[in-house]
Amino acid sequence: MKIRKNALAGIALAATATLGLAACGSGASTAPGTSAAADGTLSGEITVYNAQHESLTKEWVDAFTAETGVKVTMRQGSDTEMSNQIIQEGQASPADVFLTENSPAMAQVENAGLFADVDKATIDQVPAEFRPSTNKWTGIAARSTVLVYDKAKLSEDQLPTSMLDLAKPEWQGKWAASPSGADFQAIVSALLELKGEAATEEWLQGMKANSKAYKGNSTAMKAVNAGEVDAALIYHYYYYGDQAKTGENSKNVTPYYFKNQDPGAFVSVSGGGVLNSSKNAAAAQAFVKFITGKKGQEVLQKGTSFEYAIASDVPANEKLVPLAELQAPTVDPAKLNSAKVTELMTKAGLL
Amino acid sequence: MTQYSPSRLPEPRVAASVATSTNNHLEIDAVTKNFGSQAVLMGVNLSVAKGGTTAIVGPSGSGKTTLLRLIAGFEHPDTGSISLNGAKVAGDGVWVPAHKRHVGYVAQDGALFPHLSVGQNISFGLDAGKLPGGHRSVKTRVAELLDMVSLDAAMAKRRPHELSGGQQQRVALARALAREPELMLLDEPFSALDAGLRVATRRAVGKVLQDAGVTTILVTHDQGEALSFADQVAVMRGGRLAQIGNPFIVYTRPADRATAEFLGDAVILDAWMEGSLATCSLGGIPVRRPPAQGRVQLMLRPEQIRIAEDGPIRGVVVDTDYFGPETTVRLKLAVPPVLAEGAVADHRYPGGGEIITIRHWNASIARPGTELCLRVVGEAVAFPVEDLPQV
Amino acid sequence: MTTKLAAPGTSGGTTTAGRGKRPRPPFGVSIVAVLAVLIALFSLIPLGYVIVMTAATGWDTAVDLIFRARVGELLLNTVLLMAVTVPLCLILGVGGAWLVERTQLRGHKWWAVLLAAPLAIPAFVNSYAWVSAVPSLEGLWSGVLIATLSYFPLVYIPAAATLSRLDPAIEQSAASLGLGAWRTFFRVVLPQLRIAMTGGALLVSLHLLAEYGAFAMIRFDTFTTAIMVQYQSTFNGTAGNMLASVLVFLCLILLLVEVRSRGSARYAKIGSGAQARALRLPLHAYQLPAQLFLAALTALAFGLPLTFVLRWIVAGGPDIWAADEFLPALLQTLMYGLAGALATTVVAFPMAYLAVRHPSWFSKALELSNYITSSMPGIVVGLAFVTVSIKAAPSLYQTSALLVAAYVLLVLPRALVNIRSGLAQAPKELDEAAQALGKPPLLAFLRVTLRLTAPAAAGGAALVFLAIVNELTATLLLSPNGTRTLATEFWSKSSEIDYAGAAPYALLMILISAPMTYLLFQQSKKAAGQ
Repeated sequence: MKIRKNALAGIALAATATLGLAACGSGASTAPGTSAAADGTLSGEITVYNAQHESLTKEWVDAFTAETGVKVTMRQGSDTEMSNQIIQEGQASPADVFLTENSPAMAQVENAGLFADVDKATIDQVPAEFRPSTNKWTGIAARSTVLVYDKAKLSEDQLPTSMLDLAKPEWQGKWAASPSGADFQAIVSALLELKGEAATEEWLQGMKANSKAYKGNSTAMKAVNAGEVDAALIYHYYYYGDQAKTGENSKNVTPYYFKNQDPGAFVSVSGGGVLNSSKNAAAAQAFVKFITGKKGQEVLQKGTSFEYAIASDVPANEKLVPLAELQAPTVDPAKLNSAKVTELMTKAGLL
Repeated sequence: MTQYSPSRLPEPRVAASVATSTNNHLEIDAVTKNFGSQAVLMGVNLSVAKGGTTAIVGPSGSGKTTLLRLIAGFEHPDTGSISLNGAKVAGDGVWVPAHKRHVGYVAQDGALFPHLSVGQNISFGLDAGKLPGGHRSVKTRVAELLDMVSLDAAMAKRRPHELSGGQQQRVALARALAREPELMLLDEPFSALDAGLRVATRRAVGKVLQDAGVTTILVTHDQGEALSFADQVAVMRGGRLAQIGNPFIVYTRPADRATAEFLGDAVILDAWMEGSLATCSLGGIPVRRPPAQGRVQLMLRPEQIRIAEDGPIRGVVVDTDYFGPETTVRLKLAVPPVLAEGAVADHRYPGGGEIITIRHWNASIARPGTELCLRVVGEAVAFPVEDLPQV
Repeated sequence: MTTKLAAPGTSGGTTTAGRGKRPRPPFGVSIVAVLAVLIALFSLIPLGYVIVMTAATGWDTAVDLIFRARVGELLLNTVLLMAVTVPLCLILGVGGAWLVERTQLRGHKWWAVLLAAPLAIPAFVNSYAWVSAVPSLEGLWSGVLIATLSYFPLVYIPAAATLSRLDPAIEQSAASLGLGAWRTFFRVVLPQLRIAMTGGALLVSLHLLAEYGAFAMIRFDTFTTAIMVQYQSTFNGTAGNMLASVLVFLCLILLLVEVRSRGSARYAKIGSGAQARALRLPLHAYQLPAQLFLAALTALAFGLPLTFVLRWIVAGGPDIWAADEFLPALLQTLMYGLAGALATTVVAFPMAYLAVRHPSWFSKALELSNYITSSMPGIVVGLAFVTVSIKAAPSLYQTSALLVAAYVLLVLPRALVNIRSGLAQAPKELDEAAQALGKPPLLAFLRVTLRLTAPAAAGGAALVFLAIVNELTATLLLSPNGTRTLATEFWSKSSEIDYAGAAPYALLMILISAPMTYLLFQQSKKAAGQ
């Protein structure tokens, strides 16, 4: 009898689980909410495919939901993973908004014709150099390429003048990067756009010979900090972010900006766009507008993400080197080609 | 389709069933069964009277268990039909499943449910709602049944694996009896017991079933068990019933040589049949129903050949085996006096010199080399010569 | 006492038997067979996906993508990993099992459980702890270390179960023929462990091929890590699919090797009689070294990970326990685990039933088909389902039903093995006896067969639950938006080297897995044969 009771309990439990899951699953996959009412009030819910850092987007989402009452469901992923996923899903995609860390993924989705035009009000908030001319999406933040290095291992005159130097034989085993990440692939895409395919291929081959691959920029920086490698090619905010916390992963590390319009001074624009298959376009547009609006950008200025604010005349976080001083090369974000980059990196044996 | 005759014995002549009365509890009519490409039952006819005990006996692999399972309803017959109490239960488009046949079944190893206690096993088939007295009377009924099979009522709480083989068998019987079936099927129920226990359990079970008036069908490969337990013996061989009859008939007048040899020791001799007298190395012996004239094979049971001081036949002891209560003696028969006197050996007269086996209670008189005098008692059974087994 | 029987000419009431002139197999069995076929077809989707993808890619591109230096690197890494880890696991697993079951080891009852305990710690948590302890861990030897410590229980558990049931008469005969203890072990005991060893080795190899998190954390590149990287860059790109096809090919080879090396070894049938207890060898001078060895093994495999997880928890303080994050994750993990366990048991039943009650080439083919799929890594199954659902069944895409279906496919054979052994303990004679006692076939099945199979099925369900809780790659690919499981949350936190933040999830995973591991361990002792 005891066994029978246990069996009944087990079945009841499992049935509850299945019901609970069905509720969860259906909750997530039901078509998101309704469009705006005639008087402009927003309602319903939207799904955001988010390739930005979860903590940053969460801040945006919380503030947005508090202001408008629109419920936001986030799906976390990485830039090109999600851009490819959106392309595969096509018109059936449940995504309303797509946020990225870098531009190539946005260009990819734009080229597939899946973005809707961004509202003019939103466009007006963002300076021209941080958005594509097509206005199919907009920049929402920016980050600068940087070489973090260990002062004890590299003196200032040993530092490379250009990012291209890193492929030279004397740098063998001395630097690290995260080639699997979309961040690094964006840097390569800028290199491709600035210097062409042949030069990029050559540089990648040098990278294969010289660099150590880590998974994630923070891990690469941590390795420099621990003395495992001399330098790492990452984005700036990892350094400042860690410094603002405990600093345990960056206390031995110094950032170095290439400047001089070098490919290594590339400033990558994080993008945000509205899918034209969105079922709640009004709320979606409102969300992008919010992010590029004053409140949204202030999250970048005052928060802990340490990415650059770029819109609504909100200055960058005071700890950062101002954007104007970085001497970044001019790159049209819409021209960055992630598929080609993946192909070249696969060919070089990095992926 | 391969013939399923592992022993390569000759095909039995199908015998008519003995019980011809219309008050038949069970009727099996021309039933065949194949498993894949193997033919297991090739036309079985059997009738069992109400209250009777039938033993189906045969060598391993002859199809006995399959027949039992067909009766129980665990298999479908390919052709033919099975009827219980005059109503068809299988065959000719009819099918009554096992759980509706109200037939008791005791499997070879008891098949007690390991997760239930003895008492729960026994009461498994009981519908407590239908019992007078409802649930409370279940316990009483279980105690009754345990008593019926001579087990202590305290056993009801034990688990099957705590019981010995014999006890398990008896619990299985009690379980089947709980539903008061009219027909009980027993599949080699005593084969797992050791010799001493076997006889006692067999007697006890037989008595229980007889007292309850239950028609019983027992399947066994032990011919002694079949002969002692049942009032009708059906000998199965090669998927067919070779002979059906009461134990005495079947033993003393077997239908063919293979049946004769299966049911007990048999002394087989070449003989010459003229009229109803067969002449063989043991002299002239009367045969009740000669199957043919001329050359035949003669069968005698060892106990029919007695050592007698004035016996007409002579034989020399080759060797003996002492078993305690009796001794088997192997003798070489002497050449008939006719031939010894110089007559030419004729195809009509057997030449003597065969070695036969007989039994005697007195070991001392049978020493190797001793010449003994023999006498034959009773009739012999003759078989046609084409019954010779292929070598 | 009247016997109610059907009158001639009418067919008997509700039955599962065939009607009509020629006997047909029972209707119930036909339904079961159809179900089993459907399940087998479904389980072949991932293999079909890989084959179709490979075919669609075109020969030249495929050759380009497969026969390149990077694949050679990955192949070398993978082969080396397996070549070193599997023998180590065999030695540790069999050696541990032998010490615990066949010697007079002090406290062997405790050691028996402790040696199985590392299964409660997912490999990626193990890796996380080791990386916290020794940050410079990377490359092949670290991979071997972590993998061996995580996976040796997969050999230990079946080996211990087999050793505890070995008939001592065999060893005693060997002794009487003059074989000493060592030679007896190698010539008599070890061959009997063949099935446990080949099965365990296969399991370890498949885990090695499928493992992602543990190796990614120590920067050791294998096929699965590379596929994941490709997936993150191209979602469903050709290069990733080509890597997947090479991986599947490796898995199939492993399956073949296992089947071959199992040979014609039969599973011993355990009789109902009580078996004589096996003799335990005295250890004398080896007692202390044995105790130290086992203590070291347990400390490294179980103690160290647990310690570091706890350290991070303490270091992180109360902040890391954000209830709005870990509670939903915990609940969802539990629900997926339970739903998956239930679904798998239900799905496994038809196949197990056919395999035990109506064995034929047909049932063998069915088993083989889902055996193949289960050998595939979670990432391939995830990729397959994503593609197939987007293209063929968009309403299923990103639903929890699809995720549960993927889980079921990944773990089906484990439940199958358990249910099969349970069914073997419920021979059809018992079912027939119940029917002869008047129970309709369905009731007989429920009250006898199902009841007797239940403990073994529960063991299988525990195994499945354990596997689902620790599953990472398929979950990352298939989970509906907003899903958080303990594994995915742990992974996203530790990817950002927020080790303190990842610690609560690690601890919860261990806590949930522990009772299941114990149940599994108990069940393996009880299962008769296999």
